[in-house]
Amino acid sequence: MPRLDTTTQFITVIIICLTLLSIVQGALVARRRKDAFPLRPISAYESIPYMIGTAIEAGRPVHVSLANTGLGGSTTLLTLTNAEMFYQTALRAEASILTASDPLVLPLSYVMLQRVYARRDRSERFSGRYLRWYPSTTQPLAFASALTVTLDAEQVSGSILLGNFGSELALVLDAANRRKQGSIASSIDLQGQAVAYALAGTTLIGEEMFVAGAYLGDNNAQRGAVVALDTLRWFLIGGIVLYTFVSLYEPVRTALLGGG
Amino acid sequence: MRRLFTTLSTAVAMSFGFLTLWGLLVGGGVVTSLANIILQLVLLTVALSILIGILNLFGVHFGRIRRRERQWGYSVVVLVAALLVIVLWLLNIDDVNMLLLENVQVAVESALAGLVLFALVFGAYRMLNRRITWGNLLFVLSLLVILIGALPLRETAFIADVRAWLLAVPVSAGARGILLGIALATVVTGVRVLIGQDRAYRE
Repeated sequence: MPRLDTTTQFITVIIICLTLLSIVQGALVARRRKDAFPLRPISAYESIPYMIGTAIEAGRPVHVSLANTGLGGSTTLLTLTNAEMFYQTALRAEASILTASDPLVLPLSYVMLQRVYARRDRSERFSGRYLRWYPSTTQPLAFASALTVTLDAEQVSGSILLGNFGSELALVLDAANRRKQGSIASSIDLQGQAVAYALAGTTLIGEEMFVAGAYLGDNNAQRGAVVALDTLRWFLIGGIVLYTFVSLYEPVRTALLGGG
Repeated sequence: MRRLFTTLSTAVAMSFGFLTLWGLLVGGGVVTSLANIILQLVLLTVALSILIGILNLFGVHFGRIRRRERQWGYSVVVLVAALLVIVLWLLNIDDVNMLLLENVQVAVESALAGLVLFALVFGAYRMLNRRITWGNLLFVLSLLVILIGALPLRETAFIADVRAWLLAVPVSAGARGILLGIALATVVTGVRVLIGQDRAYRE
């Protein structure tokens, strides 16, 4: 395990403490007054009920893909938040299919889906066949091609594609568009994000992917996390502005006073 | 009973999380050794999870064939290919396995990579066809500048300069903004998991 230097340790502890405080404070305020922090509208989250409604009317499943994100690596936290998105979608839709290329996602999503069926008092109808593992190499094109087949074979009504997609996302979204299926996409990879913006029905950008629980669920703790995220964002903006001011101050002062 | 189990699993996850964080931040002594053991356990679990994946693959595709679901033929191909690779591996015939990988898998993926370009160009066309907004116009205009600016022609030297500025300033700033947002959200999610607020523990 790599040892961090003192400055990094100090900054990390400060960030963690600040985040912890913001989350707890945000959750407490959200519990007391639900409308204290109204969530700004995000079109992708607003379109999810419509996508699910269309799927229910057509008797078709909704497809959620976590791409090649997984547990135990750098994308662990992203996988957990995307699993929350799957949970919220499965809770509302008649049937939901999950595809992933990391096998560790399967136990996690299995438990999530089981809870969904238990919450809907339909435990007897639970089936693990809605969870699909498509192994992927370092080039995830094979995974993308498997998704294009899934879209057609399962006749999905809409797809929510989240995770670490690259430019291969274009193939999946193109296949979805040709079949007139709805799509919501986002990626932590910038190439994938650009492709999602161009081809997907609606897009989630950057941190928007991490707040599915707050937008789709009704949990104060998750609302508190959004407040924490906003607080940290304002701290960061403040830091950047301050740093810019400090960097500019000396050269501007020198220029104005002629070095005197 | 279920509540007790949930509480127990939350406590285990939280203590393992804090232990690993402590090992990373402070380090040294027993804590680092424990954190290293935990990380090795994770690696072991990841390796074992391949078995779960293979079981899922066979279960799902056998089911599709048995129920004669739409396009079940693809499932037959998947199962035959998977069985073939496993049998070849068991018989220790590595050269045939490599041949399959290089001549089939790599070739198919390269062909798909070629298709990505057409999908992207069609996507840009479709985006303007769908609805023209300022955002979409800016996106397509930037795309054109980047593509034309990459041409090694003397006539497009000015556009090449614009391309260089675009990549160095607005694109770089936007990319950093997105990555910073992701980083902040990751920190928040990490702390939520550490204090047991994640759904994986809550229910």
